[in-house]
Amino acid sequence: MTVKTKAKTLKERQDKRFINKETQTAAKYLRRLEELPGAPEGMEPFYQALRRIYVDMEPAPKKPGQKTIGTYCVMTPPELIYAAGAVPVKLCSGNYTAFSIGDNVAPRDACPLVKAVAGFKQTGLMPIYEDCSMMVIPITCDCKKKIAGMLSDQCDIMTMHIPASREDEDIEEYVSQLYDLMESLENVTGSRISYESLSEGFRKVGYAQYELSEFIRLKKQNPYLIRGSHAMAALNASAYMPADVWGKALHRVNSSLKKSISEKKTVTSKKLPRILLTGSPIVFPNVKIPLLIEEMGGIIAGDETCMGERGMWDPAVITDDSFDGMIRALANRALRPCPCPTFADNSQRIYRLKQLIKENHIQGVIYHVLRGCLVYDYEYKRIEEELGQLGIPVIRLESDYNEEDIEQLRIRIEAFIEMIKLRQAPEKAAVVRRSF
Amino acid sequence: MSNNISSAKSDSFDKEYCESLNKLYNDNIMLHEIKWFLNTAYDWAYENEGAAPEVVLLGASIPEELVIASGAAPYWLIGGSLGSCAWSDDLVPRDTDPVSRSVAGYIKRPESPDLSGSLFIIPLISDSMRKIAYDLKSEGRKVCLLDVPPDKNDSYAAKKYSSQLKAMCAEISKHTHSRVTRRSLVNAMKLVSQARTTMRRFLRISRSRPDIITDAARLFVLNSYYMTPDADEWIYHTECLIGELQHHVAATAGRTKISPSVMISGSPVLFPNYKIPFLVSDTGLSITEAVDSISMKSNVIYKRAALWGSRGRLIETIASRFYRYDSSSAFVKNDALFEYVSWLVQNEKTDGVIYHVLKGQIEYDFELERFEEMLSGFGIPVFRLETDYQYQDVEQLRIRMEAFSEMLTQNRYREVRRAS
Repeated sequence: MTVKTKAKTLKERQDKRFINKETQTAAKYLRRLEELPGAPEGMEPFYQALRRIYVDMEPAPKKPGQKTIGTYCVMTPPELIYAAGAVPVKLCSGNYTAFSIGDNVAPRDACPLVKAVAGFKQTGLMPIYEDCSMMVIPITCDCKKKIAGMLSDQCDIMTMHIPASREDEDIEEYVSQLYDLMESLENVTGSRISYESLSEGFRKVGYAQYELSEFIRLKKQNPYLIRGSHAMAALNASAYMPADVWGKALHRVNSSLKKSISEKKTVTSKKLPRILLTGSPIVFPNVKIPLLIEEMGGIIAGDETCMGERGMWDPAVITDDSFDGMIRALANRALRPCPCPTFADNSQRIYRLKQLIKENHIQGVIYHVLRGCLVYDYEYKRIEEELGQLGIPVIRLESDYNEEDIEQLRIRIEAFIEMIKLRQAPEKAAVVRRSF
Repeated sequence: MSNNISSAKSDSFDKEYCESLNKLYNDNIMLHEIKWFLNTAYDWAYENEGAAPEVVLLGASIPEELVIASGAAPYWLIGGSLGSCAWSDDLVPRDTDPVSRSVAGYIKRPESPDLSGSLFIIPLISDSMRKIAYDLKSEGRKVCLLDVPPDKNDSYAAKKYSSQLKAMCAEISKHTHSRVTRRSLVNAMKLVSQARTTMRRFLRISRSRPDIITDAARLFVLNSYYMTPDADEWIYHTECLIGELQHHVAATAGRTKISPSVMISGSPVLFPNYKIPFLVSDTGLSITEAVDSISMKSNVIYKRAALWGSRGRLIETIASRFYRYDSSSAFVKNDALFEYVSWLVQNEKTDGVIYHVLKGQIEYDFELERFEEMLSGFGIPVFRLETDYQYQDVEQLRIRMEAFSEMLTQNRYREVRRAS
């Protein structure tokens, strides 16, 4: 009896410690985001969403009786989940505390994102994970493949085979998988996906995407109206908010940005080095890299990460407005424009990066590689070569889910930004050398 | 300067390759027939003048019967060499697993046969394979991808795999200008079945007599199948070796000292990097079986009933058998390997399991927990051995392996005491 009580107390103590540490880290990064100057009006709903999930540890908002479906990666169409009457929640995590728990569950060389997922599931304390009636796991890399196997012992999952290429037959196969997913969703929620409900799903996501495109258009203004870190926080929050609610919140931010244009109110001077952030996903609370970039005097003028702009950027294009046509539009959207390195031939990521560099007048690229994220690491060499030909400097930043490497990262980012500044104003550099 | 670097890379490859061959020869000198296998491995690496393989298979997760049926001799690149990794150092990220590094290195190695006109068949079983495929394609090489569905529970998986194999067949036929007919398929299936039956016979006979053939040599004979250009010849010589073994078994008494037997599972042990089997022997253990994705292929055998039907049906038969038995880490859950290991420990005397994890092959590492749980149910200790193709860790591994060996020996004494 005493042993049992002791064991219970130990578990309780461990859980309490986990909750304390997890909430403290999330609150700290949230505070740093809030304290970063220049946030536009209307950011509060996004902070609230992140606070609700990671600090207050509450489930994602939903109507009574509604089911939550956990998703990973950008290939699971939220439209289908909304059509089934459920709410999608993205479960890719950036949590340091869960990562340290996951480190004991998943292999040492697994990527931190997957370790954090394993950690949350292991503790059973994170409501967004525990609240999920089903998890949809697209198999985009080895870690996702294996975590799917691990999670299948603990909850209801559905895997999706992401083809390595995007030929017509691959799209056809993906369409059949979407029909399978539809059936699974119907079984979980008990509601049938009809033409009307699917159209409603498209409307919800379409509205959010429209607001996002407007946001990105405003974000491109030079001098800048919003910092990249704030933009990334808003985009991260989309994982935990219903699309229509998120769209409305973003609409308010867009209005405030438009107001800033008319008032000529910008967040930075024109000369800040414009950085493009690409590579492994930046998931809250692991926002140390964007914060470091902007604290060191750079500005994230563009991001090509799957938890950032890429996550919802591509709209589904319906060319045939039948039910099957809509499903095909979802399959096409999920695969054809996606620059995820899961595809064997991913040349379009290079085109996308070049496009972003041109549109946002990028001066340097920070290539983020989460330790163990091999697919992104493989593409670094090619991207470095391609961007080298354009004269764009690229730096590879490898990091993990902890704070131990922050000072190292700070030095490297600072040096990179200094280098861009020197390239930006060669006459200024020459003056400094002469006087020396 | 670049000549010196290239020569250093070649030297490191030669050293590793020839040392392994020499050790195998010296440890099995009484077996006359082993020389053919050693020569085959040597020729594969060094005698490539004028050789230009038509079809190159990356990894062993491809049913070779389809390649043979389309009139080409499969040329496998399955990794296994630290020396060959040297040629891929600048091409792949630091954390790439040694098998993929080695495969990519073999392609770049100057002494390798001319692969410029070859068709590369690449099963997409891991991130590395996917990215190597992209690199090869970017270099202008001919590439055929086999996109293996990762979840065997997916209702479309078997169908998808089958259609992938059909597309692969068409691609090979186009490349070799040789049609895959029903007859060519049946002949190829018979040939491959015969080779796999021979493998199993060889394993049965050689398993219990490490005094006649060493454990490393057993693995090597099986590995040499992936180095021979002629499967018929390989079958013939394996049969000769079986005959020789039978002769020795009949002529010599069994071993007096029975050492603890271990099973090697997890990442495949591939020639020439045989540090694990050499260490196992050095520490007084014997290997019952190496159960991995490569050895499991020997279970795919087509009996007479399977050879019936149209060309399309035969391809479907190959697809369904191969997919079911594929025990590579390409799957969400590697049930094939799990079930086989579970069956084996119940039917063969196994004192312990060495779970081999090559650094970077995290898929096997993910599966370890499940294996540990199952094996602990049978009271079998599992020893996770993480390594890569470097040789610097041999002494560390030796110490750990010795400790494991001692523990197994103590367990045996305990069992004997308990029985008496």
